[in-house]
Amino acid sequence: MVFFVSLLAHTVQAGTPLLLGTVGEIYAERSGVLNLGVEGMMAMGALTAFTTSFYTGNIGLALAFAMAAGALVSLVHAFLSITMRANQIVSGLAITILGLGLSGFLGKPMIGMTAPHLASFPIPILAEIPIVGPIFFSQDVLVYASILLALVLWFVLFKTRFGLNARSVGENPAMADSLGLNVYLIRYVCVLLGGVTAGLAGAYLSLLYTPLWIEGMTAGKGWIVIALTIFATWNPLRALLGAYLFGGVIALQFRLQAIGIGTQAPQFLLMLPYLTTIVALVLISVEAVRRRMGVPAALGLPYVRGES
Amino acid sequence: MKEIVKRFPGVVANDHVDFELRAGEVHGLLGENGAGKTTLMNVLYGIHRPDEGEIYIRGEKVSIGSPREAINLGIGMVHQHFKLVEPHTVLENVLLGLKEPAFILKLKDAGDKVLEISKRYELPIDPGARIWQLSMGERQRVEILKALYRGANILVLDEPTSVLTPPETKELFRFIAQMAREGRSVVFITHKLDEVMAASDRVTVLRAGRNVDTLHREQLDKSKLASMMVGREVLFTLHKSPVALGEPVLEMNQVTVMGDKGFPAVKNLTLAIRKGEIFGVAGIAGNGQRELTEAIAGMRPILSGQVRLCGKEIDSESISRRIEDGIAYIPEDRVGVAAPQGLTVAQDLVLRRYREKPFSSGLFLNQHEIDDNAETLIREFKIMVSGKDAPARTLSGGNLQKLILARELSGKPRLIVAVYPTRGLDVGATEYVRSLLLKQREAGAALLMVSEDLDEILSLSDRIAVMYGGEVVGTFPASEANVEEIGLMMGGSLRKTS
Amino acid sequence: MPVISLVLGFLSAAPLFLAVGVNPILAYRQVLGVFLNVDGLTESFTRGIPLLLASVGLCLPFKMNFWNIGAEGQLFMGAFGATAMVFLLPDSPAFVLLGSMMIAGFIFGGVWGLIPAYLKARLETNEVLTTLMLNFVAILWVDYLVYGPWRDPEGLGFPLTPMFPLNARLPWIPGTRIHAGLIIGLVCAGLVYVFLARTRWGYELKVTGESRLSAKYAGIDYVKLTLLVMFISGGLAGLAGMGLVSGIVLRLRHGISPGYGFSAIIIAWLARLNPLAVVPVSILFGGLLVAGDALQIGLGLAFATTSVFQALILLFVVGAEVLTRYKVALTWE
Repeated sequence: MVFFVSLLAHTVQAGTPLLLGTVGEIYAERSGVLNLGVEGMMAMGALTAFTTSFYTGNIGLALAFAMAAGALVSLVHAFLSITMRANQIVSGLAITILGLGLSGFLGKPMIGMTAPHLASFPIPILAEIPIVGPIFFSQDVLVYASILLALVLWFVLFKTRFGLNARSVGENPAMADSLGLNVYLIRYVCVLLGGVTAGLAGAYLSLLYTPLWIEGMTAGKGWIVIALTIFATWNPLRALLGAYLFGGVIALQFRLQAIGIGTQAPQFLLMLPYLTTIVALVLISVEAVRRRMGVPAALGLPYVRGES
Repeated sequence: MKEIVKRFPGVVANDHVDFELRAGEVHGLLGENGAGKTTLMNVLYGIHRPDEGEIYIRGEKVSIGSPREAINLGIGMVHQHFKLVEPHTVLENVLLGLKEPAFILKLKDAGDKVLEISKRYELPIDPGARIWQLSMGERQRVEILKALYRGANILVLDEPTSVLTPPETKELFRFIAQMAREGRSVVFITHKLDEVMAASDRVTVLRAGRNVDTLHREQLDKSKLASMMVGREVLFTLHKSPVALGEPVLEMNQVTVMGDKGFPAVKNLTLAIRKGEIFGVAGIAGNGQRELTEAIAGMRPILSGQVRLCGKEIDSESISRRIEDGIAYIPEDRVGVAAPQGLTVAQDLVLRRYREKPFSSGLFLNQHEIDDNAETLIREFKIMVSGKDAPARTLSGGNLQKLILARELSGKPRLIVAVYPTRGLDVGATEYVRSLLLKQREAGAALLMVSEDLDEILSLSDRIAVMYGGEVVGTFPASEANVEEIGLMMGGSLRKTS
Repeated sequence: MPVISLVLGFLSAAPLFLAVGVNPILAYRQVLGVFLNVDGLTESFTRGIPLLLASVGLCLPFKMNFWNIGAEGQLFMGAFGATAMVFLLPDSPAFVLLGSMMIAGFIFGGVWGLIPAYLKARLETNEVLTTLMLNFVAILWVDYLVYGPWRDPEGLGFPLTPMFPLNARLPWIPGTRIHAGLIIGLVCAGLVYVFLARTRWGYELKVTGESRLSAKYAGIDYVKLTLLVMFISGGLAGLAGMGLVSGIVLRLRHGISPGYGFSAIIIAWLARLNPLAVVPVSILFGGLLVAGDALQIGLGLAFATTSVFQALILLFVVGAEVLTRYKVALTWE
């Protein structure tokens, strides 16, 4: 039982950076911009948060700077993809390589060191509830924030003017443009949002998840975010479920290895997020499903006013 | 609207057009393709700025710079191609682009308002339905609701019945009448004579960018309208030598082809074209001509019926086989389909023929042959270009069409399918293209030509068919062509076969 | 033009060096030093081989706008296939073993490329996402093997296979680590160039890259073309994997490729999808990898410096390309 509870608690922690990164990426992709740079943005966020915490000890500042770092990096991608209309795949990959590179480069001096971490913040009373308490209510601030963020962003996406505009821009930018929406501005905002959340996700990794700074903080979590975005069919609520599902896979394979249960198992478990995403992709390619919950129609295509 | 002039490169779409719309009036705007009807209404709706002229709404002079401003003035427009985002719901589409509510979309309130409007005008719709789930008729209702939601007093409908079934059409006109009774005004653009006769209080006919005349309900007469719409002297400017007709090259029997909008664009069509014959297909664009030609070329599958080329059934053949069989296809879209702009002239000149013997042997292309071919064709067809290796995008419209023709006609095709072959070309290029087609005819090819230029159809064709609503409503030899009758057929008011 | 962007991108790293307290001049001297001495140069060639093979392969699908982001995974699968041959035929004569390793490497990589190709051709499934996902599946599969059934019992628990026997090792130029993979790579670059410039398929690729409708109009079979091209592309990446295990590392291990498949995308892009231009660019990137080592050893910088250079160069090139496009569009008006 204890194993179970601690497993689930770990699941929540493993899922949180995924959730954070995904909800932002959902916005970027919904507006039509493919952002393959998440991994790089997360790395930069991790670095910035760690460095800030290391030198100032102020966690709040660290989080803020991490978000700014993510935003800055995403600004580059936004500029290239939206204004310069460059190939979004190449731009995104460049950002990832840059982010990973910079993070490793600038972080070298700090390898092996520790910095003040995010403390856990049990919610009074709720944390006492058996089983559920330790899993959900004895976590740190970012966990709570991430869940809140998912809910809020879901609401914004589907129930507010901005969300409607963002979705329209990603489905049919020409139409949106003719209706008076500023396609470029909306896309910029969405990509920046993606950068901010990615930065935050990275901060989570360096301030909570891993005790000390290592090269390769993000360990491919950015790619899982991209997978999760698809798996969640660009819906923040489904992302909530999916993040914990994928987080559970990570936590599980970790535990199994620790116990020594079949070292065969871990890789196949870890493959699951990617394999299920491929299956999801195939399913949404089927016409009937495509219309209901498919890929945003203009995803990856630069928009030029006047081109049909 | 007074003295509206609107120019586009190469054409005057609206040439000093006056247009008057009264309150509570249903006003039909009639004309062929290119007459300027849609352009005029686009000017009203703020999509285009007039080069000259003035617009007065309720006596006040206005300047309409964008659809937003038009909407503020109470003008709503339902276009031929709906401006709807498919995965969104009806309600979301209605709300899209509005300034209010600015933050939280009060979906419940908006939904109620939509339902209220929908009930008042008897336009049943489910606000929560997603656009892709709706039929074309229902989608049109959404567009209308959008306009009404924004308080439209003047409603413009562009070819509204082209996507509707007969009962839906009746419903639409009932609604239009209701709008008029309430004191609002409706303009509907159409080429269909019956509709205009039945529903309008007044009809304005445009032709070649000019306002021919505006008639009152009592003055309406089908033949008169038809000749106003089409009205010209028939000009036989080209000399056609008589050619002995051969066996049928193309035979189509009861062919039905699916359109892009979910219903058949071509219905049970039957026709036959013989060797040495130019078969002209007339009709307002959007009545199935494009889909017909695409089906013959293999670009669009056939739902039912048979297509035979020189006796051989080809309806399930691949496009490459059809090319081999000798079908030349000159499509409407030159830049996007027929001659990719990023390739060189030489490369485009073998686009459909690169598999053939001299151009490729086995796996490899014979660059030498391709280059020779390019130089020959450039010379023969007088294509003005800096060199065979110039990118296709450097060619002017006329020269691009020459390139396409050069390629398609040099393979000695048995059947030539040409869609709007002289559209957008200057006089010289047009003459040249027409003479090329005639030469092919003399050489024994069969030609199917779709054109919106009635002069062209009349002067080039041996036989003419008029398409309306996906069907051939009239087939007759060119010598028996009666312009008035053709106008009626194009407007859907006459059927004739001979 | 591309050379200017290259240099600019390079130089833009200067402030970063300052940020970690390193004199940028020293850093640049180290980097140039790589190219100016024989050892550094040969090592650049060595490191460039897998890049060369994978990038050459990518020229094909990219030309037809099929975005193959899966070169890394195809590489891993090729490495897997080649290694499998070593386990299957350990005592065969070298040319048999090596030959079968090459074939297996090509086929395994090719098949891995066929999967997303089929999904796109038949179902229009977004190929960027499918190829991307399959990367990680392949990487994890190799991990499974090297942590599990194929692990070297004398490897102290590290995730690697036993060393390959001599007959499984590609011949190499004595005094260097440059192996036969270089020749294979150069030959493939030439073959792909011919493929693109001279064959029917090369032509079909160009047309399809322009517009799928035009391709349809021209009678091109999109399905067949996609499958063929992705098989070759995946196969070449697979060969790159084979070269890695058989020419340099001499075993299969965790992380056999530190992102070569992704770098290959950048190289192909920089070379403007010209297989001949890919050769010098891959050598250059190989040199950057060597420089990364040098900077690490010499100045204590992270190996990640290489990535920084790569990314900066790419960003500048992308920016420059767009600027020229703008200029062309503007002058054309």
